[in-house]
Amino acid sequence: MTAIAARHTSTASAAPMERFVYDDSIVRKFLTATMVWGVVAFLAGLIIALELVAPRAAAWEVNGVRPFAWLAVIFETSWLNFGRLRPLHTNAAIFAFAGNGIFAAVYYSTQRLCKARMWSDTLGRLHFWGWQLIIVCAALTLPLGITSGKEYAELEWPIDLMIAVVWLGFFGVNFFQTLRHRRERHMYVALWFYIATIATVTVLHVGNSLAIPAGLFKSYSVYAGVQDAFMQWWYGHNAVAFFLTTPFLGLMYYFMPKAAERPVYSYRLSIIHFWSLVFIYIWAGPHHLHYTALPAWASSLGMLFSLMLWMPSWGGMINGLLTLRGAWNKVTTDPVLKFFVVGVTFYGMSTFEGPMLSIKSVNALSHYTDWTIAHVHGGALGWNGLLTFGMMYWLLPRIFQTKLYSTRLATTHFWLATVGILLYVIPIYVAGLTQGLMWRAFDQSGNLQYPDFVETVNALIPMYWVRVIGGTLYVGGSLLAAFNYFKTWQSRPAKYEEVVHEAPALSRTYVDPPPPPSRLSGVVGIGHKGDVWLQGAWHRVWERLPVKFTVWVVIAVLVASAFEIIPTFLIRSNVPSIASVKPYTPLELAGREIYIAEGCYTCHSQMIRPIWAETKRYGEYSKPGEFVYDHPFQWGSRRIGPDLAREGGKQSHDWHVRHMENPRQLVAQSIMPGYAHLLREKLDFEAIQRRVGVMAMLGVPYGEAVKPGRAAELARAQAAKIATELVTQGGYPDMADKKIIALVAYLQRLGTDLSKPDDWNPYEGFDGKKAADATASGATGGAGGN
Amino acid sequence: MRLSDIMSQMGLTVWPEAALVIFAGVFVLIVRRVLSRDRAAEMASAARLPLEDGTACEKETGR
Repeated sequence: MTAIAARHTSTASAAPMERFVYDDSIVRKFLTATMVWGVVAFLAGLIIALELVAPRAAAWEVNGVRPFAWLAVIFETSWLNFGRLRPLHTNAAIFAFAGNGIFAAVYYSTQRLCKARMWSDTLGRLHFWGWQLIIVCAALTLPLGITSGKEYAELEWPIDLMIAVVWLGFFGVNFFQTLRHRRERHMYVALWFYIATIATVTVLHVGNSLAIPAGLFKSYSVYAGVQDAFMQWWYGHNAVAFFLTTPFLGLMYYFMPKAAERPVYSYRLSIIHFWSLVFIYIWAGPHHLHYTALPAWASSLGMLFSLMLWMPSWGGMINGLLTLRGAWNKVTTDPVLKFFVVGVTFYGMSTFEGPMLSIKSVNALSHYTDWTIAHVHGGALGWNGLLTFGMMYWLLPRIFQTKLYSTRLATTHFWLATVGILLYVIPIYVAGLTQGLMWRAFDQSGNLQYPDFVETVNALIPMYWVRVIGGTLYVGGSLLAAFNYFKTWQSRPAKYEEVVHEAPALSRTYVDPPPPPSRLSGVVGIGHKGDVWLQGAWHRVWERLPVKFTVWVVIAVLVASAFEIIPTFLIRSNVPSIASVKPYTPLELAGREIYIAEGCYTCHSQMIRPIWAETKRYGEYSKPGEFVYDHPFQWGSRRIGPDLAREGGKQSHDWHVRHMENPRQLVAQSIMPGYAHLLREKLDFEAIQRRVGVMAMLGVPYGEAVKPGRAAELARAQAAKIATELVTQGGYPDMADKKIIALVAYLQRLGTDLSKPDDWNPYEGFDGKKAADATASGATGGAGGN
Repeated sequence: MRLSDIMSQMGLTVWPEAALVIFAGVFVLIVRRVLSRDRAAEMASAARLPLEDGTACEKETGR
């Protein structure tokens, strides 16, 4: 090791000097993983963008030849279809690319800001390899259809447990122990953002992932319907807040001053920025559920807090940009600053747009359309992506102790990425507005102007092609970055220099400055204490006490969550029961699992909002009491296909089977993938029993169906009935033991309970006398499991 | 009687509004403290922390 001593004079004191070396090998590991998984995530995104134009391209015929017929492989192969790859793309982008980028930033900056090596090299390595194992598990399970069916939290329970251990047990412990052993008394604001990230993501992950296993690869959320939706978006929105915002703000507040070689414009503003996000962000989740069956008070509260986020977010953006005061000339030549400036600008755009989209009247138009997709990608590709790449180019020469291979390539990457983002988001904004307006358009006679849903998808295809071009540019830029990274790594020294630093240990006998005196006179003791407290010296104390600081952040998050969650869960009027709503039959439950495994929720909603255009198109609006047995809820967030909340009974069994086999047999312009494998694969009837048992454990009144073998018996009987009806309708024979029958059973049930009498029997028609037993035992006992 | 019946009688619908006031109040206190003038030197010193980690290396020029 070549040792170079660097002395820290800023903390000089009477305490003995200590020598230490920063661990940059862990930063190199995480940064390399960021680059590798970034390319994977962007490529997965490009493939699913292609999925939406491929069906039309594959059908394009010139002189009897279909030059793009080969594209059919991506929408006719089960593990490559949109529903399975979209969760892979989102998980890879968020947890693999952004996640590894966050860890690289945290490990590099925390050591420098604390003037201490990370507490444990072993925990660092366990964190790194554990996180990569989680990513590999996700990459293997999601394309196989192993999913919990909750957006951005799709990973099944064994992986969820691994996440909890790696995140808190390895990463969290290592980080907080490093804080405890730091040699810089003041915790810089970037560390506050990291603390909030680690603490809050733990709370969110545990809270939203509570589930009962029904096998190694299957579990059911303990929450159902409205409450599951609430928890999901409490998690989903705050994952954006505390995984894609607060750690990146920490990154910004550390790396922008480094790159600009000047301190942050306003440290005061950064503190206000921090507390406003902690206090306000946690409330905003319900704005994802406007006009749904969620109680209106909750979504109004979400809107109000979202609007309050506007100012602090822009304050943070301005603070970041003004950090470049006097250094703007460097932006023209330094690609690092180019990435940072445009990345922070995208932060401003996203945080302007987010509150705007939370306004109910705007959301009524934007929700379920591509507008949301454009908003998300402005944030992910612009804010998270560009900031990560800016940090990467700044770190490369430092951690590999060599020159960056090519500044020109980095600059080219910047322009490809920026133009790529614009070519992505602009047409997708147009697509969102176009589809939203088409859905609500009425003709002069009061009928829907575009009654066929596919018309509103067909209009978007040109925009989807431009998105493919934009995505290709962004992927191309990331490939240039990977090449630049590799060549820089190749020119590293044979042995890395390790700089030895010196700093005094923090004194254990440190005493805070005395609190200010009370400014009041003529009051009793409590008045003086109150005035001293109002002067806020306690905040200065917190700023050097990581444990107390963390505890108060967690309390703020938990209290805010409790104020929304407790009323939602415990006030019965929020979810009025509907007597005619019964549990799914065992076969329908199995069909629902296929629906979840295929990722149908990524394109189809099951939530009809009380909006005229929606009730006209889909039928009666959705009621909270309809979802009391939905573990998990399947309301969806985007309609690339029509809403399915009232799908039951609209089409024949034969229509559904042929539509799933090849949607274009029945709807020529459809862009839905084919699911022919469901007509070949056999349903595992025996596995249904355990799943019915778990549902019963969660409070679903399954009655006699929980008895050993009874669920499979009921499922076989219903499958035989549907298969017979299918043949009668002119459909395929011998389908009774195939997965497609279970899916058809589920689809034919959707939304039909509402129009049935209170005492109807879900087993009627296929279980004879035994149905009466099931009825008597509670299987038809009405809503009550919530 | 179920827990949800009891909770339904407790008038919890006012909780979110009460929490909004409490959170906004604490937030205002923090802002007031942060913006107080007596911390100027402390703030300036804290802001310089990222520049004092002793890791500055030669400016890369690249190819």
